[in-house]
Amino acid sequence: MLTGWRDFDQTFRAFDLMQHELDRVFGPWALPSLFVERARRSARTSWPSINAFETKEAFVYTAEVPGLGEGDVSVLVEDESLVLRGERKSDAPPGYETHMRERAPYAFSRKLPLPGRVDAEGVTATMKDGILTVTLPKSKETLPRQIAVKAV
Amino acid sequence: MSQISSYRNGDAPRGVAPRSQPHAKVSPAVDVFENAEEVRIVADVPGVAAGAIDIRVENGTLTIEAKRVEPADGVPRALAREYDEADFVRSFRIPAGIDTANVVGEAKNGTLVVKLPKAAEAKPRKIAVRSS
Repeated sequence: MLTGWRDFDQTFRAFDLMQHELDRVFGPWALPSLFVERARRSARTSWPSINAFETKEAFVYTAEVPGLGEGDVSVLVEDESLVLRGERKSDAPPGYETHMRERAPYAFSRKLPLPGRVDAEGVTATMKDGILTVTLPKSKETLPRQIAVKAV
Repeated sequence: MSQISSYRNGDAPRGVAPRSQPHAKVSPAVDVFENAEEVRIVADVPGVAAGAIDIRVENGTLTIEAKRVEPADGVPRALAREYDEADFVRSFRIPAGIDTANVVGEAKNGTLVVKLPKAAEAKPRKIAVRSS
């Protein structure tokens, strides 16, 4: 065997540690490494990371779910909450030696309270480039309505 | 009702972290695999289209750079933010024996796979033993 390959993982790791160290020393505020980011997140919040937006007609939730296809997630609206569930199975290629493993397989379930009533029938979900987007149209009763003023 | 008012005040709902820094450089999570034919790097870059990924090989270093940008016309009003636009960057020193001219990248479902084929001379060879 080639000795060069044997310490391959060390090569990678050393370089990486150096980069993390550089990040830490030179730009702790400007260049947060995932190391720090992840530690902070795991302490405070659940996975996956989510953004929530509000448009005139709908609430839009997006979630970071890299490596998941459309069959790997389920979206449920219940009790005025949005429930996201999913699973990423191990995608390690068979027959390969593993040098570094940061992208662990995972399963998640996250319940998010909805900020208003939604039309559960009209909810749609799409996946693109590892981002899940759920659009929840606001319930008709809560949409702003123009009331005609009649003279009497 | 308290739930709604907390959203209105711009606070994150329960269980939601305050937003991270916009345009931050983020080191993506990666896996590194190797077999007799290649070294394979897999990186999570959610929200990045294939066209926004840059893979560079220079001075014995492989650099992956993937930019996640939001639409130029803006996004709707945010109720809660746990992730932002980001510049996913990570570098690796390329070990000896890689055919750097034939490195390829594929993006799917927010996951980038970079394949670094081994040069012919670095692949293990089976030597036939002949009887004399």
